[in-house]
Amino acid sequence: MPILQSSPDTPPATPTKRQAFRRGGISVLPILLGVFPFSLVLGFAMKESGLSPLQSASFAASVLAGTAQLATVQLYAAATPGVLIVITALVINLRYAMYGLSMEPLVRHTSIPVRIFYAYIMSDQSYAFTMAEAEEHPGHPHITSFFLGASLVLYVFWQGGIALGYLLGSVIPSWLPLDFTIPLVFLSLLMPHLKDGKRRFAAGAAALGALVMVPLLPLQTGLLAAILTGMGGGILYEFFASRNPRKKETTS
Amino acid sequence: MKYYAVILGVALGSLLIKSIFLCGFSSRHLPGWLMKNLDLIPPTVLAALVAPALVYAKTPSGLEIYLPKILAGAGAFAVALYSRNVLLTILGGMLLLGLFSRLF
Repeated sequence: MPILQSSPDTPPATPTKRQAFRRGGISVLPILLGVFPFSLVLGFAMKESGLSPLQSASFAASVLAGTAQLATVQLYAAATPGVLIVITALVINLRYAMYGLSMEPLVRHTSIPVRIFYAYIMSDQSYAFTMAEAEEHPGHPHITSFFLGASLVLYVFWQGGIALGYLLGSVIPSWLPLDFTIPLVFLSLLMPHLKDGKRRFAAGAAALGALVMVPLLPLQTGLLAAILTGMGGGILYEFFASRNPRKKETTS
Repeated sequence: MKYYAVILGVALGSLLIKSIFLCGFSSRHLPGWLMKNLDLIPPTVLAALVAPALVYAKTPSGLEIYLPKILAGAGAFAVALYSRNVLLTILGGMLLLGLFSRLF
């Protein structure tokens, strides 16, 4: 049974909430290979920068945003002015605004407090898995249960990993490049979205933009610039494709 | 005390960023061209996250082009395209990275 695939061919015809929740939780298990070591590193970094257990735990509990958290800890350890730390972390997190924007149609039936909770537990990974699932099963009745299952599994392992990293120190052998598993998972989740020329062109433009701008621009602003470049590319592609009927792509 | 002020700022600011559009601010206040192209967000986000991670290695002096990652990434792309399977993509990519980083 292809439980661990991002795109099984035979999903349950009408999954119950419980099944969707389980499917979400199971779907993210492979990415724990990459996420769990990251949380260990973060926990270790918290200890190294002299944060007390209470300080570390309250930071871990207050926000879920790995890269921004690691940057905050490093900047705090380097005695950076507080305002600058906050601005840096928020700029790194700007991509989450885009995630919220594209996920909003999926959560339209839920109340505002519930959505704020969803925002709190949303991560790069749970967003990516949920959007891949929604792309493959349009009109999924319990996509929010899928999101919740995926997010909660990631959340538990993330917090556990921070605690373990704080207690045990650096336990990942440095020769094992487990961080490489994260882009591999995202690569796999990208595939269901490349259904038409517009989205393929947009993804290509975003990839090229990221290769040029991420090394050049500070504070991960290159990432956001690349996303906007890709979207602009996709919109232009559609504009020109609709003006030239011979080149018009048929959406498959 | 400064520490708690900083993490409060990071936490509240992040929650605001993450929830503002998720809470429906979007449909009324954002331009139509953006709302019509929401399906471009997932592929562009993922492509922008993936591309640098499959090309550059982090070094003390910044990001540097690293050939084994490019080759392993190209192989993993093929695996992802044909298998559509997360686990196979991870295994293929990691094996290829291990192989190519010994060869080059």
